[in-house]
Amino acid sequence: MTAGENAERTFSVCPVCLKRLPALRADRGDAVTLERTCREHGFFSAPIWRKRLDFKEWTEDAARLTDGGNPDCPSACGLCASHIRDTCCVLLEVTHKCDLGSCRFCFAGAPRESEPTRGQISAWLRMIVRSGETFLQLSGGEPTTRDDLPEIVAEARRLGCKYIQLNSNGIRLAEEPDYAQALAARGLSFVFLQFDGVNDDIYRHLRGREMLELKERAIQSCGRAGIGVTLVPTVVRGVNDGMLGDIVRFGVARSPAVRGVHFQPACYLGRTPRDISDYDRITIDELLEELYRQCGSAVPRGSLRPSSCDHPLCGFHAGFVALEGGALYSLNRDERRNGDCRADASARSREFIGRRWSRPSAACRASPNHAAAKDAGELTDLDSFLAGSKNHSFTISGMAFQDAGNLDLERLASCSLHVFRDGAMVPFCARYLTPLAT
Amino acid sequence: MREDAGAKTNAPSRCMRCGVKLEPMRIQFGYLGHTFHTEAPGCPVCGQAYVSEELATGRMREVETSLEDK
Repeated sequence: MTAGENAERTFSVCPVCLKRLPALRADRGDAVTLERTCREHGFFSAPIWRKRLDFKEWTEDAARLTDGGNPDCPSACGLCASHIRDTCCVLLEVTHKCDLGSCRFCFAGAPRESEPTRGQISAWLRMIVRSGETFLQLSGGEPTTRDDLPEIVAEARRLGCKYIQLNSNGIRLAEEPDYAQALAARGLSFVFLQFDGVNDDIYRHLRGREMLELKERAIQSCGRAGIGVTLVPTVVRGVNDGMLGDIVRFGVARSPAVRGVHFQPACYLGRTPRDISDYDRITIDELLEELYRQCGSAVPRGSLRPSSCDHPLCGFHAGFVALEGGALYSLNRDERRNGDCRADASARSREFIGRRWSRPSAACRASPNHAAAKDAGELTDLDSFLAGSKNHSFTISGMAFQDAGNLDLERLASCSLHVFRDGAMVPFCARYLTPLAT
Repeated sequence: MREDAGAKTNAPSRCMRCGVKLEPMRIQFGYLGHTFHTEAPGCPVCGQAYVSEELATGRMREVETSLEDK
């Protein structure tokens, strides 16, 4: 079997033993696949692009691993001299506990370590935070299972964190009426809310219980507290991949409390380290195509752009302003891509994300200009546009995490989402890399 | 005339080309495929408008930031 003359060289791992291997991104007719062979465990292939969009065009700005990168990558991860991107966001696991015990997908595996003490977390924060710069994600487990979470938020803010994000299933935000307000008062910027769909069949299937009404209350609670909410669906083939447009519409209808949707195709690590069929893998171009199809004219073709901060195969985003009545006004109208891959790409991305996922100040929210614009025409007025783009910003984005079955070290080298672990920053997909059980 | 257009003491009150007094007028500008309008002092004869530093580095810059990709 030949890989075709358009095959691109990269590096990957054996999904069984995680040994580093040379790999090819090979054109196989209806898909581009990541292929490599382990002497011990054999040949492995996974689809990474299904040609719904042009692969070369989407990936043209990718930073290439021309010299192969660090020969110890990823087994000796931490960030090394070969790593291309600075840190955009730092993820800190503040707990291993979770109040949802039966999720089908979770980055976290079964807890193997003792719960971090408050003193440990303080020490970690002092190592992580660069005053005025750091974008911190508090994650877990479920961070709200810690009763001292508000104090952790306050300390992170005191140390100078610019943005503080909470990754949450929303249970405590929904069930304790003053909890969101308490987090807001201590400096929480926004919530990444696990949100898999708009009916309870989805939640029963993926999370083991009904949750839609709870998610609604969590959004309302955050809305009252002035904390922006981004909905985060884990997209699973045959479960909720036909509901992408409904999720976007659900979010837009709850603007300005909801600031956007961040789609994450299911990957197979942590709690779900199993080998899966090619069919089950949702590639990023499939997700884009489905978003265009299911959202119709609300999301114009071409408006979703590849990440310039991470590898183009890792993410996409598009900015909008939510209008009265649930329509969207696309901010990406020009064919030119004005993002770039400069050295400050991580800092630019941090500001882009922070600006769009945060709610504006309480004073701004209380101003007469806070109402959504009636239509796109109203946004041609400079002041109406500025008010709309602050108050009713809506961002559709996605991130395709990698697992042992499709890990491309070129993508890993461009990762700007880093997990703080044992005193070092580790790219997200290296931190959670789990050998597949075959 | 908007405050930001007349705030600077060295803002011209007359058109440098035509010599007539500037009047508040609607100006349009475009950026990355979008068109916006606002009010600025302009010449009723030749139509040229005066974009103050405050407008350029204030609200216009905010528009640029809002539209620029990451």
